[in-house]
Amino acid sequence: MTNHQLPASGSHWRRRGRTVGFAANTTVAWLFALLFSFPLIWTFFTALKPANEVFGAQISFIGSKVLWSNFVDAWTEVGFGRLLLNSLVVAAISTVLTLVVATLTAFAFARLRFPGRSAVFLLFVITLTLPSEVAVVPLFLGFDQAGLADTWFALIIPGLFGAFGAFLLRQFMLQIPGELEEAARLDGASTWRLLISVIVPLVRPALSVLAIFAFLGSWNSFLWPLIILNSSDKWTIPIGIAGFTTQTGTQWELLMAACVMTIAPVVIVVAFAQRQLVAAIGAGAFGGR
Amino acid sequence: MTFVRLDRAEEEASDGSVAPPDRPRGRLRRRPLGGPRWVGWAFVLPGLIGLAVFIVIPQVASLILGFSDSTLLGGTQFTGTHNYIRLLHDPQFLNSILVTAIFVLVYVPANIAISMAMAMWLKTRIAGRNWLRVIFLIPALSPMVANAAVFRLLFQKDGAVNQALATIGLGPIPWLSDGNWALAVVIGVSLWQSFGYNMIVLGAGLDSISPDVIAASRIDGAGRFRRLVSITLPLVSPALFFTTVLTVIGAWQTFAQAYVITGGGPGNSTMTIMLYLYQTAFTNNQLGYASAIATVLFLIIAIFTLFQLWGQRKWVHYD
Repeated sequence: MTNHQLPASGSHWRRRGRTVGFAANTTVAWLFALLFSFPLIWTFFTALKPANEVFGAQISFIGSKVLWSNFVDAWTEVGFGRLLLNSLVVAAISTVLTLVVATLTAFAFARLRFPGRSAVFLLFVITLTLPSEVAVVPLFLGFDQAGLADTWFALIIPGLFGAFGAFLLRQFMLQIPGELEEAARLDGASTWRLLISVIVPLVRPALSVLAIFAFLGSWNSFLWPLIILNSSDKWTIPIGIAGFTTQTGTQWELLMAACVMTIAPVVIVVAFAQRQLVAAIGAGAFGGR
Repeated sequence: MTFVRLDRAEEEASDGSVAPPDRPRGRLRRRPLGGPRWVGWAFVLPGLIGLAVFIVIPQVASLILGFSDSTLLGGTQFTGTHNYIRLLHDPQFLNSILVTAIFVLVYVPANIAISMAMAMWLKTRIAGRNWLRVIFLIPALSPMVANAAVFRLLFQKDGAVNQALATIGLGPIPWLSDGNWALAVVIGVSLWQSFGYNMIVLGAGLDSISPDVIAASRIDGAGRFRRLVSITLPLVSPALFFTTVLTVIGAWQTFAQAYVITGGGPGNSTMTIMLYLYQTAFTNNQLGYASAIATVLFLIIAIFTLFQLWGQRKWVHYD
């Protein structure tokens, strides 16, 4: 907690001590970050190694050859291309639908009065603490009885209704001044018009953060796809990777190439949207996922 | 910081402060501007139906299925408490509770401690602090399956970790072939993956502490430790409570790490409750029995959550 330093005394030595402390602190922190990142760095270098050099007597990052072709092999031999396409399509559909549902719900909670609103809101709050994964058996049974097992419909639908998105958007919608709404109403705007033309444009930053979280949520999802999807042509990336690791005689360099291609999009998204993501997580809007 | 207080949700919901801002109560308000009062229901209905059908009803159905011998082939019969009596005598199930409890007891305190320490460290003067935050956050937002596959490689018998240990004359350690080490690896990957997330939440909690309060405590002569215990921790306690509750709920449902790295082995030493539930339901096709497992897990999580809600008055300070 040294960022709340007392005002600098102006002493030369003290300033110098602080500079050294700052440099030491920075160095230690970045070394720790490097150690923390080691698994991901190692993944990348393993993905470039020849198959027979993945394990060795000594630790070495670079093998006798640098095989970028491992990425191509992972794409074709392990069928990563197909998995990637499936994951992208599923995540895109999930994101759009999550945004629609959350926007409608948040709007009702934040800007509309209706009988029973408190009770419905309470229900949404309670579901935040429900352990959702515990109930996968009846969820599977329901879709199976309806003849919808092994479909993308069954894969996507249950993930759209988490209460977190609605809470995040509601928080932002509550901050919109009532005068804007009044003005729109007096100009004769319907409730629907008010939502589309006034509210949605004003909460666009929150919508983009929610979009990122919905996309990553779908991208990372494992248990439900594992249960509901049977045919391999519908699999998403996590199912492919998990299936790959449980085979005997794992081709580690190809598996790591697949992992690099799975994690890289996340790294890019997080790097570009870091400010918004950190703010949204800090607001406690998404809970521990 | 805008935490929904879980035990005050009702009050908050009926409290004017979260209702739409009061509109002027002049002649204009005699007829509501927003059309009939049921309009709100039309907007909330899609989300409410989805929540009911895909989140609430499955929870209830799971409780009911727990009293049946349901399988995928149909022909469900209700068998009373048979499943629960069987659970009491199922060594694999009792073992899975023990394994998961050990996981929770090690993982949750370690996660909170590391997250808090890292959040405080990143408040100090460090060049490139924002980028450090991103680095620690990346695994938390990456697929657990990919992270787990990476750790499975690192902890192979002749993998990178043992290679590194060999260079300083240690090892090799049988990471994945010894039960205790395997559980340690599963806990390790979970910590590595997820502390970045709680670190951000707690960091936001630290940011909301007024510098004046810290300065005042310094002037009163409070030392570092005293400031941490008497000022920082109480002021960040709502965020600590929030992260602890959700981390505990998640920890009891641990699945992907164990599935990918060890498959529950060696010898069931990393067989978490969710993994046993999954195998019972979808490998052995005993959906009814699996639902009974789900009910027990639900009760465990409910007890832990309610206990924390009850206990928060002792240590959580709002405002």
